[in-house]
Formats: sequence, structure tokens, C-alpha cells
Amino acid sequence: MKIAVCVKQVPDSWAEKKLRDGDAILDRESVEGVMNELDEYAVEEALKIVEANGSGEVVVVSMGPDRAAEAVRKALSMGADSGIHLADASLAGSDAVATSYALAKVIDGRGFDLVLFGSESTDARMSVVPAMVAERLGLAQLTFANKVEVAGGSVTIDRVSDNGIETITATLPAVVSVVEKINEPRYPSFKGIMAAKKKPVETLSAADAGLDTAQIGLGAAWSKVDSFAARPPKAAGVVVQDEGNGGIAIADFLAAQKVL
Amino acid sequence: MESDMVLRLIVGLALTIGILAFAGRRMAFLVKLARSGKPASGRLTDPTARVEAEAVEVLGQRKLLKWTIPGIAHVFAFWGFLVLGATILEVYGALFISDFAIPIVGHWSLVGFLEDLFGLLVLVGISIFAILRLRNNPEKRGRWSRFFGSHTSGAWIILFMIFNVVWTLFLYRAAQYNTGVFPFMDGGAFVTETVASWLEPLGETANEWLETIGIWLQIAVVLLFLLIVLHSKHLHIGAAPVNVFTSRRPNALGPLLPMMYNGEPLNFEDPPEDALFGKGHIAEFTWKGYVDFMSCTECGRCQSQCPAWNTEKPLSPKLMIMNLRDTMFAQSDYLLAAKGKHPGLGEFDEAALNSLSPEVRAEVERPFIGSREGSEHSAEDGYTFDGHRSTGADLAIIDEEALWNCTTCGACVNQCPVDIEHIDHFIDMRRNQVMIASDFPTELNGLFKNLENKGNPWGMNASDRNAWIGEVDFDVAVFGANGEDTIPADVDYLFWVGCAGAFEDRAKRTTKNVAELMHIAGVKFMVLGEGETCTGDPARRAGNEFLFQMQAAQNVEVLNEIKATKIVVTCPHCLNTLKREYPQLGGNYDVVHHTELLNDLVKAGRLTPVNKIDKTVTYHDPCYLGRHNKIYTPPRELVGATVENTVEMERSGDKSFCCGAGGARMWMEEKIGTRINQNRGDEAIATGAKRIAVACPFCSVMLNDAVTSRQQEEGRAVGVEVVDVSTLLLNATKS
Amino acid sequence: MGEVLVLVEAADGSVKKVTTELLTLARTVGEPSAVWIGPGYTDAAAATLGEFGAAKVYVADGAQYVDHPIAPKAEVLAKLVADVSPVAVLVPSSAEGKEVAARLAVRTNSGIITDAIGLTSDLVATQSIFGGSTVVQSKVANGTPIITVRPNSTAPVAAAGAAARVDVSVDLSEAATKAKVTGRAVAQKGGRPELTEAAIVVSGGRGVGAAEGFGVVEALADALGAAVGASRAATDAGWYPHTFQVGQTGKTVSPQLYIANGISGAIQHRAGMQTSKLIVAVNKDAEAPMFELADFGVVGDLFVVLPQLTEEVNKRKG
Repeated sequence: MKIAVCVKQVPDSWAEKKLRDGDAILDRESVEGVMNELDEYAVEEALKIVEANGSGEVVVVSMGPDRAAEAVRKALSMGADSGIHLADASLAGSDAVATSYALAKVIDGRGFDLVLFGSESTDARMSVVPAMVAERLGLAQLTFANKVEVAGGSVTIDRVSDNGIETITATLPAVVSVVEKINEPRYPSFKGIMAAKKKPVETLSAADAGLDTAQIGLGAAWSKVDSFAARPPKAAGVVVQDEGNGGIAIADFLAAQKVL
Repeated sequence: MESDMVLRLIVGLALTIGILAFAGRRMAFLVKLARSGKPASGRLTDPTARVEAEAVEVLGQRKLLKWTIPGIAHVFAFWGFLVLGATILEVYGALFISDFAIPIVGHWSLVGFLEDLFGLLVLVGISIFAILRLRNNPEKRGRWSRFFGSHTSGAWIILFMIFNVVWTLFLYRAAQYNTGVFPFMDGGAFVTETVASWLEPLGETANEWLETIGIWLQIAVVLLFLLIVLHSKHLHIGAAPVNVFTSRRPNALGPLLPMMYNGEPLNFEDPPEDALFGKGHIAEFTWKGYVDFMSCTECGRCQSQCPAWNTEKPLSPKLMIMNLRDTMFAQSDYLLAAKGKHPGLGEFDEAALNSLSPEVRAEVERPFIGSREGSEHSAEDGYTFDGHRSTGADLAIIDEEALWNCTTCGACVNQCPVDIEHIDHFIDMRRNQVMIASDFPTELNGLFKNLENKGNPWGMNASDRNAWIGEVDFDVAVFGANGEDTIPADVDYLFWVGCAGAFEDRAKRTTKNVAELMHIAGVKFMVLGEGETCTGDPARRAGNEFLFQMQAAQNVEVLNEIKATKIVVTCPHCLNTLKREYPQLGGNYDVVHHTELLNDLVKAGRLTPVNKIDKTVTYHDPCYLGRHNKIYTPPRELVGATVENTVEMERSGDKSFCCGAGGARMWMEEKIGTRINQNRGDEAIATGAKRIAVACPFCSVMLNDAVTSRQQEEGRAVGVEVVDVSTLLLNATKS
Repeated sequence: MGEVLVLVEAADGSVKKVTTELLTLARTVGEPSAVWIGPGYTDAAAATLGEFGAAKVYVADGAQYVDHPIAPKAEVLAKLVADVSPVAVLVPSSAEGKEVAARLAVRTNSGIITDAIGLTSDLVATQSIFGGSTVVQSKVANGTPIITVRPNSTAPVAAAGAAARVDVSVDLSEAATKAKVTGRAVAQKGGRPELTEAAIVVSGGRGVGAAEGFGVVEALADALGAAVGASRAATDAGWYPHTFQVGQTGKTVSPQLYIANGISGAIQHRAGMQTSKLIVAVNKDAEAPMFELADFGVVGDLFVVLPQLTEEVNKRKG
């Protein structure tokens, strides 16, 4: 059982995030980077599958600037066996389509039985890359799983959908994305952190990965930001005294905010 | 007569040699067992302090005397045994020479008097002990008896043996008196004389026989007593003096010990392969740990003060130590045979393992720390009232629930008459759970993540650390705002605001109060603003030493770089870490708590309370200000200066009861038993005080919660408020 | 006017409201054609689609399109894109919609914009990102613009369309049929959403006063389709189970709307909910810190305010 887990280094989900003036790319320098929280669930699930299977290998795959190596290390300290870090200046500004292209290129041909993802990243929140990678690799897509079972060369998941739960099954290899609550990601033990320092991480450039530079980076992005504006800082809220119509006042407020 | 003496000698020596052989083997075993522990460093440094500790705590029985009646009873027994050492000499002398007397002082009436007096006082002592045990019977009082879980039958046997020592002593002495060989024929030995008057009518032959039989009995009883001591909790007679001598001085409170490797602080950057990260098996404790376990007398003073035990949680410091001791003995065959290896990591010494009996081997391989949920007596850490503990091959030895119950309040360490270092052991086991096993309460995940990513426990943004400055109407100097790279010379204090002080509403108020009071008093201070991060206290108490080391190293680097010298804090946890733990990392600062600084300012006349508050106030000692750092007086003086009436809670000063937040408990759920904060809050409310003064942001949160929840009940805690001492002072200072 | 494809979202044969919103939006860009994929196309569905301006309805009728997740829908849409060269494809921003759009984008070499909350006639999409802190205008620069649109982004406006049925069928690729749906469990009606995943959370704290007090909190949650949360004070007091605790030692939530009732707003609670997009607070105590965090607050008795709000919500939802 050989599992790839794709992880992304994202700005801390609680920090204020900004787009850079000029190229409208997320300003990743100004905020603390962390491993995308949902990817922790994917790493945990991969480790669990290998543990249940009795043997196997978990390879972390990440694309991003040098700092993304931290996310790879984090996954290694949780227990993954090795890492692949795709880092190249020409990748900066890649959109989801380009990202899926690059990831698929890296994953393809390495003999993975499973490719695991978190169901979304906390910065872009698009939830499209797993589907795109499945499409590109021609693999079965089993996404938004809150339960994954691997047995006898096939994988079965419970997909969380708007209408309930769908059970989906496919023979391996397959692409799986997991939602929060599928498991409780382990906290890396100190032993794990130490061991991670010695685990192999393959750093690839765009050329190493055989990427066509015309298909990656900001220049190749197929969606362009025309303009952006930071919302004015959240104005102090309105607090009213209930004079018999407090409930209606809230309903009016919710309607104005389009949540009702 | 001659043949009588020969018989006396033969029987006496035979008894002695026979029993001493057993005793000697046991002693050699105990010494070897203790020495099989891992190295402990710094246990012999500062010998003066150690000799002093021996004098004050062992000879002076100071810690025992914290509790008057049991303390006095123990003083009688302890000093009785020291003085009765002379009678042992005499009884052995009498084996050889019927009218033996100790050279020089052997016939002094004073010596005879003291021997008799202390013999009598020992009887008084054990009578008191017996009464205490009857009145505090754990069978009837359950967990509310401090003897719950102690081996009560063993204790009764000991009392009975002491009684035997005393009556056989007086028996042979009285007979000696009647046969005329007694060393103190000239008076002084008043008890002996009285008993002799009872035996005298039996006649001379009878008294001669009673003399010999009495001597045999005395020797037999004393030797038997020695044997029992060596096999029971009364081992403390021998172990406690060693334990006190090698204990952490002045006590095992305040800073936690750094993790060591071969006597050197462990290098977390590049740890040796065989380094231990906490204690995950009984084989990983140090020899000092083993002596701790051997020293426990099961007196239960720790248990009676423990906030966890008092709120019906499984943790009792006493039961934990007893459990570790029993585990140590149960696995002693392995401990003595094994070399190196880390059973906590699952690495056993196979050769040693194979040499064990199946029963011992099963014990050694039993899970050390884990869940005991659903097992027998799990609410009392598995113990029955009389010291039996449920066991089983798969059942963990240490209940993880009990392990995480500890608030590190230090009441147990403070109470322990034999200087057992409970907290250090608990934290060591937590370290293993976090750094090796990665098995700890899930709530701590959030704490660790927030500390790692955001530098504060709540995950707030560093940019909000200065939010409070916008809410005061005077200028606050922020380090670096004017381009300074060291703290300017005219700044009196670096004001370490702390995470609570920056982010938590009530603590923020304290921050503003203290800043305003310093402003009024003309104290120049500066804050680090966004440059501040958590000191690492919660990570360290939660067993995440690695995270603590990272945070502490970062803070020490910053503080040293900006040349910080004098620091004022509002949080006792920050105080303890900055002042007492950072020296372990090369950070030495003069750190004061705001109650100390403000008290000095009031005394110096730089702050003048003009409007005394006419409400009764009770002051709650925070554990990390009081017990851990011995700051009891300044906050009290400060409260006294600002209010008309104060009232003390019964548990105050060094007996203060924890609010429930320490030991990283602030960041964990409290699901078992009653609530610690409610227990303390109720005590404060019961004093009738309208203001509960606190000096710690976490005590403030916990007690405020407790008071608020009582106020939801009709007519309870009406008008009671929890306030920081600084609030009282500010209100009193502003006219 | 070019054709705009709108992927229909339906449940039990009836068209969901979000589809009518997308049809309304599509009309500003071109002529909407609805795309129905799967069995169960009904006259009622046709009527709704026509009512909101669908000129054509492409119907790919067949169980095979829904027996395999995601990929078949992308292949149907890809065929239509190839056949009719639409000016844009609009897809609802549901989990499934976004994934269909994702595969479609790769298949058709097109740019994709997700979670649009607005769309101009020249296909400039508005997105609200980073928890609403930044508003972005973007445009697809390559291929057929594929845009997923969030529900409630626009109010549906009726405008008659012919809704002429055009049947389509696609030979699914081998890759598209690799994953198979083997079971479906419909979410229990009335069951509340999972706390950490809910779009709306209604919480109760100390001010609720007793276990019974949570009745008004639950009633409001059910009216809003929300999850119920509780502060530590409430769970510690035993009024609500520990598993529903929001805060430092409980769950961390980040819903679109968080309604805090009788919760003072101590940092221990805020640590678990402060990233909520919209916060409403109800509390008797005007000094409660929660009001500082709230976008809207009512100082009043939650036992009066909440039932009134519940009634109002039910009324407005019809």
C-alpha cells in the first residue's frame, strides 16, 4: 500500500490575510504559515490506513515556496515516511488548474495506490484540486469522505453531501479527499519530530518534474483578478435594547445580511 | 548464676544473628534497588542547606508540626526512639554483663529519667495515633479520611509493635531494678520504679527470670520491629532522612526540573539516541524517585489538601506515590537485572526479562500509563479504603485520568513531611505522554497548536496585544516604537503583560490598573507589545517540555538582547517562569509581581489609598504566588491598606486551596467529580466577604465563574465580586 | 445572445431554489439553458425551469449519470460545451457543483471561478474571500468561463422561457465510471447539522439558566436549520452535553452566523467561535463582552427575544 498525501502550507487560518498590491496574490510572507488543517486529517487517515494494513508507505507531496517544506516536515513528524516538495519560482501564482496539473505530474507514474487530500485549503477554500487531479490522472474520485475503508484492493468511503451520506466504492488506485471529523489527527511526538529530521525529502524543480512552464504560474492562470478591495474594517456592531421587538430586530438584521 | 548468664547470652545472640541476617539482606536489597534508578543530578550540592534541612525537618520535625496534635505525637515517637537508642545499648550490654551500664553517663539519674520519660511519651504518642486512626477511620469516612487507601492493618501492627517495645522495655528494667542490677538505682527512672513495685511481690527468683525473659523479649521485639519496618511503609524511618538530605532545596516547588541526560540538561536540538523524554515506565525513574517512593509513610497529609481528591477525582498524591512504590517492588527483579534500555519506548532488556518469573514478567510488561476507565474503584484511583488496588495484566498501572487531574498547586509537596517530590514525578509522566506516547487530553491539542502558531494559548492575533493601550488615557511606552534596541536606562521596569493580561477581559483590566498605578506613582515602564509571547508555563505543566524549551529560548533571547533587568508581571505563572525557570536557560532577571511592586509603592508613599473600601474582603492566595514563590505578605498588606475589614478563609497562606486552573488545567475539561473552582468559591463566599481579592488572572476567571454560578441561585453570594488586588488599590487611590 | 449553461440542482424531482437564482443571473449574461443530468426529469421541473427563463433544457436521462459520482456530470457538460459553445457555464457552489465544475475546467481547458456572489453581464465575477475581509473581482481568461455561484447571491426573478427539452447522451469514459455509488442515506429530516460543519450555530450559555432553558435555543436552531452549541458554563452545569461545547476546551466553529444567547463572551468561549462571519448576541447584561464582538446585539431577556425571533424566522421562511 503506497499512499500519497498532498499537503499545503497555508497562512494561519486565524490570521488576517491580505492580497498583495500589484499581482493580487495572497501575501504569504506577512503571516505565519501552518500546514492546512484539513490536510492533517488526510495525513492521519493515511497513517491509519497503513497501520490497519500492517504495511505500506506514506509519501507527503507539497507544492509551494521554500516555506512549504515546513508542512512536509510536519507531516513527516506525524509519521509519514518521505516527502516530495515541488518548489520553483515559476510556480508562483498558479491557479487551481495549474496546481492540479503540477501535482498530477508529480504523482503520476510513482505507483501510488491512493492519493489523499484534505477536502479544501483554508486559504483558497475552493475544494476543486482533488477532483481536478482525479480527472487528470483518470483515477476514481472519492471525495468529501468522513469514513474511508481500504480492503481487498478497493476503497469505500462515506461521502458527505448536501442530501446525506453516499457510499462510494472503487478499485484502487483512487483519489480520496477527507473532511474534518473523519479522525483526530495525532500530535507529533517529540520522537516523531526528531525522526522527521532524518526522513528523505525529494525537492523537485519544475524542470525535474517535467512541467511545461507555459501551463504554470501567474501567467498561465486562466482566471484573472481584475481588482480587489479590502472590506472596510468591520464596523462596531449595533447593540439595541429590547423594547418588545428584539426578536424582530434580529430577523430584520439577518434579512439585511441575506442569511434569512 | 553463671549458667543463667550463658543461656541469656546464647539465646540473645542467636535471636540477634538470626533476625539481623534477614534484616541485612533486606537492607542490601533496598540499597541496591535504590541505586538501580537512573542518575539524578544536583542532589548533593549546597551541603550546608542539606544539613540544615536534616536538622530542621528531621530532628526539628518542622513539617510534621504543621499539624499540631499529630505532629506532637510524632515528635514523642521520633524523639522517643532516638533516646531509647541508649536502652538498646543497655540491653545488649546486659546480655554480657548483668549489671552493665553505659560508660560515664550510664548511672546518671538524668539519663534514667529521660529514658523513662521518653518511653512513656512514646506510649502517649502511639495512644494519640490510635485515637486519630479510630476517629479518622477510612472504613467509615471513606475518601474524606486522609487514611483512605493507606494500609491500615499494617499501621496497627506497627503501633502494636511499638507498644511491645515499650512494655518489654519496662518489664526487664523493672526486673533489673528488683534484682539490683539496674544502672539507675539512685533514682530518676520513675516509670521503672513504679513497675518494679508491682513486680517486687513476685519474689526474687521470679524477678531474675523476668529480667532474662524481659531482655530476650526486648531484643526479639526490637529486632522483629526492625524487620517489619524494612518490609512496610515504616521504611521511612530509614529512608526519610536520606530523602530529606537529597531533596530539592529549599523545596520541590516553583521551577520544574529541566530534562537531563547524564547529569547535563538535555539538548533538544540534537538529543542522544538513548535519551529519555519523561517517565514511561517504573524503570525510568531516578534513584531519588525510588527513595521518594520508599519514604512515603501513607500519612495522607497530601491527600487531605489535594484539590483533585477533595473534589472527588481519582488523583490522590499519596495513592499515586504508593502505587509507584508498589510497582517498584513488584518489578524489582527486573530493575535489578536490567541494563540500560527504555521500557517506556517498548525496549526491554531481553536477557533480564527472560530471567523473570512469569508473574513478574507480566508486571513489567503491563501498560504503565493508560486508561483504567470502568475498572474497579476507578473513582479512587483503583484503591479500596484499606489499600488494596484492583489489578490485571492489561490494566494500566497509572491511571491517565489521575495523572491529568493534577493542578500542580503544590499543596502535597508543601505538606509532605518526608519531602517527596510529587509534582516532578507527575510532570515527568506527562512528558512521556506528550512527547513519546502522544496520548493526552484532546483539549490540549488546541492549546499546543495555539502556542506554536500564535504564541498564546487562545490563538489570538499578536497584533491585538496592544489593544489595552488604546483604552487608557496616558501614554504607554512600547519597546521599539522609537527605534530603541535596548531598554532605555531611565525605564524602571519592563512590564511583562502576559497573554491573559493582553487578551482576557478581566485580566486586561488588571493590566490597565497596574499601568495606571505605575503612571500615577511615576514609575517608568515599557511593554514589549507584539514582541511578547507566552512564557511557556502551560506547555511545561502540560508535559510539552519541547514546546516550553522553544518558547523559553525565544523569550530569553529577546530579553537578553534588549538587556531586560527588572520585570514586573501581573500573572504568577509568568512570575514563576520568568524568575525561577528562565535561569535554567541563561535568563536571569529581577522579577516582581505587581502586588509586591504596588505594596512597595504604597509603603514608600508614592501611592496613597485615600478612600478605604468599606466592604469586607477575603484574599485568595494563588498557588504560584504563594506556595510556589512564598509571596504571602505583600498582597495581604496591600489589601489591608485599601479596605476596612479583611477576613481569612480557613485554607489560606500555604494551605490555600487551588482555583483549579494550574497545571494547564485551565485548558482542559473538568469532567469528573465536583468543580475545584466551586469548592474554593464556596469557601470564599462562606466568609461573608463581599469582595474576593485575587492576584492571578486565572484565579480570577475560575473564582468569578464559581461566584457567578452561585449567584444564579436565589439569594446566594449576593453582591459578591471577584476583583484583582490592583482594582482595590486603584479604587482606593482615586478620590 | 450566447447560450449560458446552468447545471440544475434538484431534489426528488423538484428544482432547488439555487437553480432559479442561477437562471436569473444567467439572463444578465446570455440566454439560459438548463442542464438536467440524471433520471427523474418531471413536468414540474420543466415548469419551474421555464418560469425562470430557461429557453432550452438539456436532459441527460439515465441512471448511469448519477450512479457514478461527479465525473459523469462533468462529461455531459463537457460534451455540451463542445457542441453548443456556450458563453459560460454556471454551477451551484455546492460541494458537488464545485467538483463538477473542477473536472469540467480541466476537460475543456477552461478557467474556473468558484463561490461567486455576483456576476456582471461581461462575466466579471465577485468573490468574497478570507472570511469576507476582501472582495475580489475576477474574470476567466481562457476557454469557457466556468463559474460556481453561491446560493442566495441573487434573488430569483421569474421570466418566461420555453424550456424546450433537448435530449443528450454521452458515452461515459472508463475513468468516469471507476467510482460507484453503492448506497445513499438521506439525512434525517429535522436532524441538526454537525456543530463544526453547520452554517449557522445557535448557542446558549449561563443565561439560559437550566437544562429546560435550552428549549428556546433549540427551537430557534431548528427554525434556522442550525446546530446548537453551548458555553462551558452551560455544559459544566450539566444543562447541555459536553460534546456541544464551543470554546477553548470544546469545539472550534466558524459558521456564517453565530447567535450567542446568554453567553457573556469570555475569552475561553471566544477562542472557539471568533472566526464566525456574523455574530449576533442576546444577553440581559449590557456589559457582556460578547457585545463587543457582535455585529448585532440585543440587550434583553433571551426567553422573550428568542421565541419572537423563532416565530419571525418561521413566518419569513413561509
